[in-house]
Amino acid sequence: MASVAESEFPLASRRRRRFTRQRLGRALAPYALLAPAATAIGVILGYPLYLLVKMSFEKYGLFELIRHKGRWIGLANYTQILHDSEFWRVLLRTVVFTAVTVTLTMVLGTAVALLLLQVSRWLRIAITTGLVLVWSVPVIVAVDIWRWMVDYEFGVANWTLTKLHVGNFVRHDWFANPWTGFGVITALIVWGAIPFITITVYAGLAQVPQELLEAAAIDGARPLAVFREVTLPLLMPIFVILTSLSIIWDFQVFQQIWVMLDFRPTSDYYTMAIYAFHQSFQISEYGLGAAIAVVMVLFMFGATLVYLRQMLRTGEVR
Amino acid sequence: MADIQFVHIGKVYDGDVTAVRDLNLDVAEGEFMVLVGPSGCGKTTALRMIAGLEEITSGEIRIGGKVVNDLAPRDRDIAMVFQNYALYPHKSVYDNLAFGLRMRKVPKAQQKQRVEEIARILGLGDMLQRRPAQLSGGQRQRVAMGRAIVREPKAFLMDEPLSNLDAKLRVQMRAEIARIQQALKVTTVYVTHDQVEAMTMGHRVAVMRDGELQQVDTPQRLYDAPANLFVASFVGSPPMNLFEAVVERDNGRLVCKAGETELELPADVAAERPSLANYAGRRIAVGIRPEDVREASGWDGARLRGRILLVESLGSELLVHIEIAATPLERSDLVDTAAQPPGPSLGVDALERAVTLLGRFDRHLLLAPGEAVEVAIDPRVLHFFDLDTGVAIPTVDVPVAAEVAR
Amino acid sequence: MSSVTQIAPTPVPPVASRGRGRRRRTRQLGWNLVGLLVLAVMVFPVYWMVATAFKPGQQILSYTPQWVPTHPTLSNFRDAIHQPFFWNAVKNSLIVVSAVVALSVVLAFLASLALAKFHFYGRKAFIVLILGVQMVPLAALIIPLYILMSRLGQIDKLTGVIAMYLTFVLPFTVWTMRGFLLGIPKELEEAAMVDGATRFGAFVRVLLPLVGPGLVATSIFAFIQAWNEFIIAYVFLHTPEKQTLMVWLASFTTLRGTDWGPLMAGATLCALPVVVFFLLVQRRIAFGLTAGAVRG
Repeated sequence: MASVAESEFPLASRRRRRFTRQRLGRALAPYALLAPAATAIGVILGYPLYLLVKMSFEKYGLFELIRHKGRWIGLANYTQILHDSEFWRVLLRTVVFTAVTVTLTMVLGTAVALLLLQVSRWLRIAITTGLVLVWSVPVIVAVDIWRWMVDYEFGVANWTLTKLHVGNFVRHDWFANPWTGFGVITALIVWGAIPFITITVYAGLAQVPQELLEAAAIDGARPLAVFREVTLPLLMPIFVILTSLSIIWDFQVFQQIWVMLDFRPTSDYYTMAIYAFHQSFQISEYGLGAAIAVVMVLFMFGATLVYLRQMLRTGEVR
Repeated sequence: MADIQFVHIGKVYDGDVTAVRDLNLDVAEGEFMVLVGPSGCGKTTALRMIAGLEEITSGEIRIGGKVVNDLAPRDRDIAMVFQNYALYPHKSVYDNLAFGLRMRKVPKAQQKQRVEEIARILGLGDMLQRRPAQLSGGQRQRVAMGRAIVREPKAFLMDEPLSNLDAKLRVQMRAEIARIQQALKVTTVYVTHDQVEAMTMGHRVAVMRDGELQQVDTPQRLYDAPANLFVASFVGSPPMNLFEAVVERDNGRLVCKAGETELELPADVAAERPSLANYAGRRIAVGIRPEDVREASGWDGARLRGRILLVESLGSELLVHIEIAATPLERSDLVDTAAQPPGPSLGVDALERAVTLLGRFDRHLLLAPGEAVEVAIDPRVLHFFDLDTGVAIPTVDVPVAAEVAR
Repeated sequence: MSSVTQIAPTPVPPVASRGRGRRRRTRQLGWNLVGLLVLAVMVFPVYWMVATAFKPGQQILSYTPQWVPTHPTLSNFRDAIHQPFFWNAVKNSLIVVSAVVALSVVLAFLASLALAKFHFYGRKAFIVLILGVQMVPLAALIIPLYILMSRLGQIDKLTGVIAMYLTFVLPFTVWTMRGFLLGIPKELEEAAMVDGATRFGAFVRVLLPLVGPGLVATSIFAFIQAWNEFIIAYVFLHTPEKQTLMVWLASFTTLRGTDWGPLMAGATLCALPVVVFFLLVQRRIAFGLTAGAVRG
């Protein structure tokens, strides 16, 4: 009796052990697969995010940089920037700039998408290819092109505007006045942003079921009414997404202004991102820079959320 | 309410794809006309041309006597029910129903009244505030119909509205649509690929194939007197049995030789089909409906000997597959290939001399595969067709009101 | 993932023949003219860059613009290439890009396998993390990143830059790869396993080839991001020997004053690889972003 029981047990337990080990291996597999990516994201995206917030409550100058450690000062950074009129000027400038840029991008981008519907097929392909070409140009390259085009002496812009009798633009330095300077920067950014908006909106337009448009036409709607009643509501989710993305991207504009102005923008050209950068890397007040950056992020998401809530409330988006 | 006329209508796509060829069809006021045929036959194209969703290449379409070729869809005062319903997904059921009225600037109060009435009739009364995504397939279908009805148009156009429903729901909705049409008496053009739907719903049915009208007639006449091989094989389920035979003259009487069997045609049968005599010595196609294939006991007329291949029990009757010695139809292009029963393939091997007949037998009979059986053939129920053109060899007492394709 | 941005269909209600064909044709002509204008305006800056790159100095520095380069020359390109640190920059960019592409493809594939094929505790949290983390602005993160990297001794090091690029690219690439994997029916894997493969074997034998296009799209995306990036490279790479092409290009002017010809030539060279690849992959990106967004 003992021998029979003994011979059965080892077999069962062996089977059970192998079973659980295999099970364990399979259960751990996803974590193992995920580990490298998760580590990278955690270390380089997650930790700095935490660090950003922490640093905004610290004094972090050159001394602290060497010591690799900040000094806790509570809300001092925040009170400092909130009392600084420069900060408010920069914030206002960034808000206005973002509003203008996003509006222009969305309006013009959608207009071109609608235009794509009307032109002949060959032209549609040509325009789309052209848009992709523009989309693919790296930002730095684009900045250099526009810098060349608005060059005060030999740039095409000045020559063309003078020739079109818009005014006398001979030797006009576009960046002497921040208003015209931002005009150029806005034009550059909108130019680079239109392709993405147009292609996305056009893809959305193409997804509107043909049958719905036919049904609306049969029901008595004129083309404009069809667009307003059928196409637009269906496109609303896309518009909301694109506008939100545009707000997020345009609010943190940095390189265009930085490179356009030879790495030395005057304070008239500061946006929030540049202001934060300046405080950190040029004045070595990393703590202050962090605080500005935190405000920037909060503001950016705040604006997007307000926009989203507004759209949801008016029932445009479900 | 208006009548609809196709006058020499043709539709050619980009270059050389002919979708519709010289279509002449009159839909009377208040008539329920079904356009039926296999996919690609041009029925949907024809329907869309009435609506103005397809450009007309040649010919005219008249609604209520007025030529509408140049009118935009919205000005034709017709309503359409789409296969996929085409309900506005972001609008409530109420707004979907009211849309057409709103576009025509009907006063709000009137809109409300008409929408609520139609909703009540269609059983949609509690769903007016819901969105299409929250409705079942059948409910969506009714909203689509409601949208058409509420506009009180000159005609209804329906493009396979029942295809997306499951079988039971389809049967139910079929009856409802027919009922609504009868009550409202609106001219309706209905497109479907399902011949059962066509037969049960239409006042008249127009069978189309490859862009050409094959025959337009009442369902019963289509069944009893098909104008050509295609209509004969398309209409009726299970489909008509078809095989080749040779006509011979023997002592002044006409005889039909199918395989080894000789079917003598009585004088009255021959008299009814005068042109049959012209086919003496030539091959023709012979058709016999499954319900006319009977077990031969008690029959003293012509018989066909065969062997049972398969017995399918439907409960209400038996569908028996019988192999007989006869020549299958060589010209498979003349028939509806989708309708052919399984068995020796059409016209593949000239040496194949077996044809599978489908017979509908009484359910109490005891039949087993492999058994020999004799099939009673009543020449009076046979259909004869020209083998080259597929056209039916006409019978004198069938009024030539039917339109026949060449 | 099948059909892409459609060029052909007209999402406008089709109309029956109007009979007034002439009016319709002039309308079409009008739209086409507007379209051509838009095309010309949008593409002009790119054209201008390339044209300037091929023009000899006198044609560039003239008060009246020379619209077409009548005497094309390669001298600007020669000048650009002979700039100090150009080849260093090319080398650095290539190193960084290759490393980022290779690593991101591998890591993204593994991670997406986990997300697509397994159910495990924390899966949802990770997905939310991936989506959320894409929203964090680089402009803000660069400050603590600098602090972190200086603690890790990764300032002015290509490895640091590679690690950062890799991480910024991961969320999108993992998401895309996951989408591809989800699109592959489970039955294929199961059939492979029934046929004798282990789970891992099934992955390699069945999934990998089918996800090929996904891997290609992911690597192209990583390539473009790594090639175009400026801010991180600018902040973290100080010595000219270490800098990447975008930093080299941006610094071009400050080094030599504004020499437009060679600058445009340099710009053209820097843009070339990305433009080519972008033209290859644009259809997929446009579709992927809008799939499903319209259906009400």
